[in-house]
Amino acid sequence: MKSKKNRYEWMIALRFLVKGKGQTLLIVLGIAVGVAVQFFLSSLIGGLQISLIDNTVGSAPHITILPADRAARAAAGAGSASDSGRALHEEWTEIHSWQPYVNDLKQDARVRRAAPVANGSGFIERGDSVVPVIVKGLTAPDGLDIYRIKEKTVAGIPELSSDSALLGRRLAERLTLAVGDKFFLRNDRGDQVFLRVGGIFDLGAAAGNELLVVAMDRVRSFFAMAGVSAIEVQVRDVFSAETIAREYGRQYRRVKLESWQEKNRELLTALSSQSSSSVTIQLFVIISISLGIASVLGIAAVQKQRQLGILKAIGTTNRSASRIFVIQGFLLGGVGSILGVAFGLLMAFGFVSGTNAAFGLKITAATLVTPVVLALLASIIASTIPARKAAKLSPIEVIRNG
Amino acid sequence: MADIVLRTRNLNKTYFGKVDTPVLFDVNIEIVRGAFTALIGPSGSGKSTLLNCLGLLDPQTSGEIDFDGRIIDAPDVNELAAFRNENIGFIFQFHYLLPEFSAYENVLLPFWIRQGRPAAEMEQEALRVMKRIGVAQFRDKAVSELSGGQQQRVAIARALVNRPKLIFADEPTGNLDRESGRSVLELMAELNRESNITLVMVTHDREVALQADHIYELVDGRICKYLDVAKTGKAEAARAIEDRSCTIKPPAGNGA
Ligand SMILES: Nc1ncnc2c1ncn2[C@@H]1O[C@H](COP(=O)(O)OP(=O)(O)OP(=O)(O)O)[C@@H](O)[C@H]1O
Ligand SMILES: [Mg+2]
Repeated sequence: MKSKKNRYEWMIALRFLVKGKGQTLLIVLGIAVGVAVQFFLSSLIGGLQISLIDNTVGSAPHITILPADRAARAAAGAGSASDSGRALHEEWTEIHSWQPYVNDLKQDARVRRAAPVANGSGFIERGDSVVPVIVKGLTAPDGLDIYRIKEKTVAGIPELSSDSALLGRRLAERLTLAVGDKFFLRNDRGDQVFLRVGGIFDLGAAAGNELLVVAMDRVRSFFAMAGVSAIEVQVRDVFSAETIAREYGRQYRRVKLESWQEKNRELLTALSSQSSSSVTIQLFVIISISLGIASVLGIAAVQKQRQLGILKAIGTTNRSASRIFVIQGFLLGGVGSILGVAFGLLMAFGFVSGTNAAFGLKITAATLVTPVVLALLASIIASTIPARKAAKLSPIEVIRNG
Repeated sequence: MADIVLRTRNLNKTYFGKVDTPVLFDVNIEIVRGAFTALIGPSGSGKSTLLNCLGLLDPQTSGEIDFDGRIIDAPDVNELAAFRNENIGFIFQFHYLLPEFSAYENVLLPFWIRQGRPAAEMEQEALRVMKRIGVAQFRDKAVSELSGGQQQRVAIARALVNRPKLIFADEPTGNLDRESGRSVLELMAELNRESNITLVMVTHDREVALQADHIYELVDGRICKYLDVAKTGKAEAARAIEDRSCTIKPPAGNGA
């Protein structure tokens, strides 16, 4: 009933806007540009952040479970302890009963992958040079998948049979090894093992491309390990890693959990300051939209005084008169922001197809809807100023003064 | 006993400002239903002020208006708006139409305001009134494309369409040339005769005033004369208008 009665307010608001073509067009364009900029900026920054985070943790563990002492020793900075505790070396630096941890973690729906790793360092002799290498013992498929080695293999086959080794691209280049070549790996006790290059991968990052990846059990026996060096975990929601790590840290007393966030504080600080600067820009865009609407509708309220006076004389209430302006604000904001999203999408497609940026845009419901909702709210709030003016106008002023 | 649709009791109006301007003093008038009442008087005597008070556009300072049984003494603005919509039609000197809308839409405005979307019979009524008034052919024209006389006719159609109890007109032909002024006035007189519309009109024109059933003359904010033209006849009324002295004396103690 009431909404039916309001119909004429919409008709009048719409007609006022349509007849005020130039002004309406200008303010709609203003809102559209504001919304487009907001949308594009937040998609761009979102995309950039996704790619930064993906570079950091996309092909790396999100949580690393380490033997308890490692972190403690690192904190104490003790070098001599390792000398005196030679006999205890293994117990201090390895997780012996890793299987229960892995099983436990795999049952958590938030966890995507969990796999043990065995790390060691050795030497490869090639011609007359001896090259030190970091050896990573992984399991298939989870261990390999954490590093996305299958997707990143550039030559050969990413498989871990007993004598096959996967080499990082830089390492392979330095050693001039190609798929099928054979080489000796030595450890610091002088043992050596004969391996064949099964595949070469390119992880993009410099450190990753120096790795030598071998089947975990091979690494354990070669370095005479009783346990594993660490358990590596990937979770489904990258940002929940820290919480999950903290949660399990309370349960697992004999190991140490480290999330990627703890290791990458600086990156996270940079990202959050980037986000807040984008919020600041968006805030100013919103403020300028609001000011634009308030001033255009403010002028309109003065221009339409005569009409408002007539309407009031023949029965329009003060509340209706003010609603006519709020509706105008809503219409301006609505049309402007829809147009703005269209502009923004065009800009996004232009960006994606026209540039060779190393990252994409993050277009989500939130990046689309947020600027629209903000622009609508700003329009409605800004329109309350002329709306109040319209409510206050007395018909008699208009009628008396012609 | 005449059927009185509107009556005032000691209506006073003062404009408050840097200097307070008292304009109306203890005005007591009666408007007979179905009749044509003319309001005359010299410029500045308060005719428009009185009409705007009677039309519930401008609140009186004191006194009471009895609008067909409804006593209006301390009016609420929004309530009055709805009341005006249903009971009053206005025709002003400067034809107040909304330039953003067509002639037909302007005529429909009172219905829109009342109930959002007019019923089919209301739309038919609007067209019927427009036809009667001779503006049906301008139905879809923008009002800015109409002549002054045509616009005033559209305004009359808008005032009539709601079948209001009272129509107030403030010098409705004041802004028109003689020819179209005449025809607009003839139209209003005809409408008054044929459908018993109650019409209260401010006019400067004695000829026009003498067409009315009743005449009130206002001088310096006071009712100075009341003439019942039907009773006295036009000649007598015309003579009475010429006479300078007031036949209605201010109540004792209120004299100037
Ligand atoms: N808003 C106002 N503030 C102060 N004084 C006013 C105001 N409006 C009208 N007046 C004064 O009230 C008096 C009556 O004005 P009103 O317009 O009612 O006269 P009128 O009889 O209609 O005159 P006219 O024939 O010229 O239209 C005038 O002296 C005018 O100056
Ligand atoms: Mg006047």
